[in-house]
This record gives sequence, structure tokens and C-alpha cells, in this order.
Amino acid sequence: MAGQSDLNMSLFSPEEIEFMAEDELVEIVPNLRMDSLNFICGDYGPFHPQLAAQVPLWLAVALKKRGKCTIRPPQWMSTESLAQVLELERDSHAFQPLPFHYLEISRLLFDHAREDIPDMYMVRSLIEDIRDVRFHKVETNLEKFTASTVTWKNMSAMEVNIIRAFAGRALQAFYKHDNEQQAPDTDRMLDKQPQIPADRPKHNLKPR
Amino acid sequence: MANYYDIDGILVEEEFVPVVFQKAINGVKIDESTEKGYVEQGSKTELPFWLAQELHMRQAVSIRVPACFNQKTRLEIQADAACVDLRSRCPYFYEFGCKLAPLCDKSIGLLLSYAFRIRYKEVLHKAHTTAFAAASKFLMLLTKEETYMYEAAQSSMAAFKKWRMGGPRLQRASILGRKRKPAE
Repeated sequence: MAGQSDLNMSLFSPEEIEFMAEDELVEIVPNLRMDSLNFICGDYGPFHPQLAAQVPLWLAVALKKRGKCTIRPPQWMSTESLAQVLELERDSHAFQPLPFHYLEISRLLFDHAREDIPDMYMVRSLIEDIRDVRFHKVETNLEKFTASTVTWKNMSAMEVNIIRAFAGRALQAFYKHDNEQQAPDTDRMLDKQPQIPADRPKHNLKPR
Repeated sequence: MANYYDIDGILVEEEFVPVVFQKAINGVKIDESTEKGYVEQGSKTELPFWLAQELHMRQAVSIRVPACFNQKTRLEIQADAACVDLRSRCPYFYEFGCKLAPLCDKSIGLLLSYAFRIRYKEVLHKAHTTAFAAASKFLMLLTKEETYMYEAAQSSMAAFKKWRMGGPRLQRASILGRKRKPAE
């Protein structure tokens, strides 16, 4: 799958990431009676008033806009759990486990279902703080990396997307320079073709 | 660089390198002022890299280290790589160095990776934090490759900020705005 917004770089725009996040399931409490809905992505329903149901976020938002349901904010979006995550996030170097699309889901819920979220302003500022702390971590991690293996767990879709273009280029450059240094290709002299990056022996990335 | 039509790949090879002729070559002039119709052995000149490389393969010339990799630049890079103005020296510093290293001086590879490692951090810090106006002076020092990296980071950060600020999700069609006016 590639982004549509940028043809030659295959990058995603934030809007495309948001679109993907709309497939995440949320719990809604409908206030209408409706038979089950059959979509390509699966069957949802039947819906009964006051009985909670799991639906994709895009469906929840569509129903919410028509006033047919209330959305139950996910467990991790409560002030207590967010405050806890923020504290852990500040204390440790690792990223705390949050949903892969936490920024997009929270943004969509803030936009469309603000009355369903208890302590909306508190939740919003907590998420902002978490995002800031996490992005600062991303930057300090980026500072450390070289062409060796890179393992960061629990990064979210949006965080990855922000650094995707930059980190891709940087890693390529690091790889190129490290390779050049390890194996200054002597076969270039013998080869009649001036450009031979393709048939240069590939070196595995070794952790240094 | 894999792409044959990559304009940067072509421009890299346009950079001049100093060469010394190892053979006398008939029928060419390197300098209009010379009367002779041939090049003497041991004469020095500057040739674009693509030509120098071909001649070097045929053992006709030996390639010297160009000015952008000389001792002075090396010392400057060792002192503080982040502040060296590489753009004015050679806008394709890294790519050119990579191509040149096996032909004249292998230690260029080390210099490149050292310089990149330091300058990468600087680009990283500036790209995600600084406002565009403040960065223009810093941008003047960057090579092409670094500029691309900087722009990639800036544009994805700007796109994210724009998305987060939101604004109206639905754009109002211009015709809808017009319809109401006569009624008022």
C-alpha cells in the first residue's frame, strides 16, 4: 500500500493516516433499532437501543453526525490512564504502549463526539503532553542512530509518518558511507562500466 | 542515484577534478593558448569527473585530490563539521566524495562519514524545531543531500501541524455561499 498524495516518494499524508485509523473499532451505544449492516470489511449489528455495539470508527462518526448513537470513548482515553501513561512516558526511555492510531482516534473523537468524552479538555491536554514527550523521545532516538539496527517499540502511526521521509534518507546516507568505508570497491578499476552500484557486493548491516 | 536520468547523479559527474596526464596525447588541446596540437606527458589540468574517470580507467591520467577535499577543508571539518560551508565548496560533497574515493584517495570515505555523522545531528535539530525564516542562514551551508533531508523533515512536520490544527473539515462549495446573499 502506498500513499496517494506523493507519487514518487510513496509517503502518506496525515489525512491518509487518519483515513486508515477510521477502521479501528470503537464501542457505540445506538439509540435506534437497525438490522445488521453488511460491508466488505465485515458485518456489524444488529443494533438495539441502549445496547452497546462494536463498529468501525468511520461508521460510529457517521451515526454520531446523524444523532443516532453516542460513542463510548475507549478505555485508554480516560484521564486516569492517560495521566499514568504520561508519567511513565516521562520516567522511562521506552515508548509506552498506546494504540497505534492514538493521535488520529483522539482527534476524530474530539472533533465529532466531544460531548461523549468526560473531561474533554483534560483528556485533550494530556494527549498533547504525551505527544510532546514522545516526539522529544523520537528526536533523541534519531540523534543516536547510525546504520546499525534500529529497534523502537510502540511508536504510533503518526510519529512514524512524521519522520518517515527524513529517516529514510538519513539511513540511506549512513548505509552508503559505512559501506564505502568498509569496502572501497577496487573492482571499479577493472570494470569498464563507470556506474556499478548495482553489482557492488551487498554487505549486511552489522550492529557496531 | 540508481536512476539513470537522476539529475543530481548527472550533475555530480560535472564537478571538476584536477588531473595529471600520464601519457602524451595527440590531437587534443587542453588550453587554447598553447601552440602545440598535443598534450605533453605530465601536464596538469582540470577535467569534469565523467571524463577524468574514463581517462583514468585507460591509465591516461592520474586524478589528484580536488580543492573541496584538501587539507584545509579536512581540518575545518575536524574542528567543527556543523559550521563548515560545504555548499560553496561542492554542492554534491558526499556523492562526489563517494565516487572519487576509490580513484584517488581512500581516506575521503572516512572524512565523509565523519562529516555526515556530525552534520546529520545538526540538520535533525534544526529541521524539527526552527522556524523557516530563522533557518535560511543555516540552509546556506548545507549540501544538496542535506537540503533534501532537511526539506523532507520540514514538510512532513508542517503537514502534521496543519492536520492537527484542523480547521474546517468540509470545504463549503462557493455556490452555497452565493445562494444566500440575495435573500438577505
